[in-house]
Amino acid sequence: MIGNITLGQYIPGESVLHRLDPRTKLIWTAILMVAVFIMDSWQEYVMMGAFILLLIFTSNIPVKHSLKGIKPLLFILALTAVLNIFFFPGTALFTIGPVKVTYEGLIAAVKLFIRLVMLIMAASLMTLTTTPMAMTDGIEKMLKPLEKIGVPAHEIAMMMAIALRFIPTLMEETERIMKAQASRGADFDTGSIFKRVKSFIPVLVPLFISAFKRADELAEAMESRCYRGSKGRTRMKQISFTTLDLKASLVGLIFVALVFGTRIIF
Amino acid sequence: MKEIIKLSDVTYEYRSQSEERPPVRALDHISEEITEGQFIVVLGRNGSGKSTMARLLNALLVPTEGTVIVDGFDTSREEVLWDIRKTLGMVFQNPDNQLVATTVEEDIAFGPENLGVPSEEIRKRVDSAAATVGMADFLKHSPHMLSGGQKQRVAIAGILAMEPKCIVLDEATSMLDPKGRREVLNLLLTLNREKGMTIILITHHMDEAIHAHRVLVMQAGRLILHGTPREIFSRVETLKEAGLDVPHVTALLYRLKQKGIGVGELPVSTEEGIRSLESLISREGSGNKVNLLRPAGREHSESIVKIKNLTHTYMPGTAYERKALDDISMEIKRGEILGIIGHTGSGKSTLVQHLNGILKPTSGEIEVDGLSTGGKSLKELRQKVGLIFQYPEHQLFEETVYKDITFGLSKMMLPKEECDKRLKDAIQLLGLSEELLEKSPFELSGGQKRRVAIAGVLVMNPKVLILDEPTAGLDPKGSREVFNILKTLNHEHDTTIIIISHNMDDIAAYCDRVAVLSKGRLEMLDTPAKVFSHVDALKALDLDIPVMTQVFLALNQKGYGFEDIVLTVSAAEKAIMGSLGTMKGGDGHDR
Repeated sequence: MIGNITLGQYIPGESVLHRLDPRTKLIWTAILMVAVFIMDSWQEYVMMGAFILLLIFTSNIPVKHSLKGIKPLLFILALTAVLNIFFFPGTALFTIGPVKVTYEGLIAAVKLFIRLVMLIMAASLMTLTTTPMAMTDGIEKMLKPLEKIGVPAHEIAMMMAIALRFIPTLMEETERIMKAQASRGADFDTGSIFKRVKSFIPVLVPLFISAFKRADELAEAMESRCYRGSKGRTRMKQISFTTLDLKASLVGLIFVALVFGTRIIF
Repeated sequence: MKEIIKLSDVTYEYRSQSEERPPVRALDHISEEITEGQFIVVLGRNGSGKSTMARLLNALLVPTEGTVIVDGFDTSREEVLWDIRKTLGMVFQNPDNQLVATTVEEDIAFGPENLGVPSEEIRKRVDSAAATVGMADFLKHSPHMLSGGQKQRVAIAGILAMEPKCIVLDEATSMLDPKGRREVLNLLLTLNREKGMTIILITHHMDEAIHAHRVLVMQAGRLILHGTPREIFSRVETLKEAGLDVPHVTALLYRLKQKGIGVGELPVSTEEGIRSLESLISREGSGNKVNLLRPAGREHSESIVKIKNLTHTYMPGTAYERKALDDISMEIKRGEILGIIGHTGSGKSTLVQHLNGILKPTSGEIEVDGLSTGGKSLKELRQKVGLIFQYPEHQLFEETVYKDITFGLSKMMLPKEECDKRLKDAIQLLGLSEELLEKSPFELSGGQKRRVAIAGVLVMNPKVLILDEPTAGLDPKGSREVFNILKTLNHEHDTTIIIISHNMDDIAAYCDRVAVLSKGRLEMLDTPAKVFSHVDALKALDLDIPVMTQVFLALNQKGYGFEDIVLTVSAAEKAIMGSLGTMKGGDGHDR
């Protein structure tokens, strides 16, 4: 069933990573991602891998669970990596027909694969330890300074929160409509691509109508609960930086210095 | 007591989008006062103006004429808008479309956050509101994992956290199963009785009105009746004209009264009904046998659906693995009306979705009219088995009603005359006029839309027609019409009909046999009279029994000797008449 996708969904916990301010996590996820892209030597790969593993352990989330995020993407990852093998000049290891497989190509493919896996792990570590609400709060706070130049920070965050809230609902609905139209004689599985795309009209039209209806009703419900944008609005859970965020950021800085510091020295 | 709401000569008109068409008048000169601390129930058909009234109270709409005063604030004054919405909270019909946040606690906090309440105070309010509605253990849950009743309780908690004086519920129970409805209703009664909160419950479930201090009845934008439940339900004929109903016990004693049996006030609650009946009949004379069972005219012997050892497991091999159906074997007879009852999540929908091949068995076999559902001829199977989902009107999508009804039919490659004939038959059976065919389905009323959706399946001439909660969200008159259509279809075309329903009174009145599902297992399959005689077994499964069955079981416990299981109001009438017949039989008087 499509209604049960749990990819990167928040897992409650009390670990250090769970307790960090979402802004700290957002910033450091971004830094980690950049680091993954600029790392180059094997030493850097090993250290980075060790650091991400360390983070997973501190998060108290079973390693098996954090690896789950990779599984559905495995095919795309492998494909990207394999394509690399063939389009890399260098010393030929062996040839398959017209295609030359090079040593450098193989290395590049493996490196790319590891890189992508690390990227996904870093990103999913963030979503696994942060509630969607905290994440949107963090984004709102970070965008706040931009409000002066007309960026609707609160509205963007509210839209993200509502989208996250309704994804499962709309997925269930899609499944229900597909079943109902199939019962009325719709056929989604046979025919040319063009025909199959066309066969989705009976699903898309009701889905859109219902989404608009939901939006209407939700707006009404929010209004009747005194929603009027960010003006005068308080929050139950105030996000705030603590000494924990300071310590974590310090650890992060030391790590980055360790990994890339060698480059400057040598 | 002071009044909290005052409507003075209120009219509301919806302006239509195009200039030429006149505005639609939804409320027509309504005046009413509501005292603080009362439990008010507003009854009326779909489209009678109930929801418009609710929106006027919450200042979501402002009257075209007249004034609405809520707790001393005039709703037409923009500057008091937030005061009004803080005082009068509103719960809407669809549980899914009013929860904003991704966790229960964040959602409950939404209102007070908007009001600018300090953080620590919000925390306190959230915890106390969650405790009041019995959702304290679900604070971290995501709304989509909750049942309908739980979602509505969260919505109520979200209102409570704003500390209002009054809650308006706009058909908030109509999308819930009986358990969810009971949960919500009990909660509302507690809030009213113990916390003195004013409750305005808009509904078309008559039994919810029994507990009200006052009942308002609306018809075509007008307030036609107001009074205590007893006063309202004594106006049986007026209510019928308004497309509404009275509780079953009231209906029974009203019918008896019309035959000259019994006098005095009509009962409203089941307990009162039992007492009224007790005073009518004497212990000694009662309980002679009157054949209450439906005349056994039609014999259903041939099986059209054969299910053998059907098991279905959702998401096998994952952490979410769940056995939805567990070794079900049953046969459905050609030409019968079969009811399927069971809790939400008992496997009813999963079972019927196997019959037209939407779902494949994990193990086991199903044969429909000689066709195995595992075979390749899915198309043929789906023509034989029509499956109508809950709220089928949500699946309409074509530009015209004609195209929508013929969507499935047009794929069957039939000659044009045959198509036209089938279309004509279907719309005639469903009471849809031909002028509607060229209209857009989205212009129609809710009841018409549902019929169009049903017509779309009927034109395929299914031999088996399955309906999942066909009357969900319909008012009493609309429900009766749907059941009458199904009965006609069954009698005249010999269509086998399978109905999933939570309404035991409907199941008892219309079905030839009833299947009871629980936790994916088939617990019983028998005639309604036999199934509903297993009162304790059904209670253990947390299922209701028909109201009339309850009444006569209670009478029997008090020493009366009614032998047959009584399922419907007409059967009850006969039983009472019969027992009075013997009593009076001696002196030859006929009443």
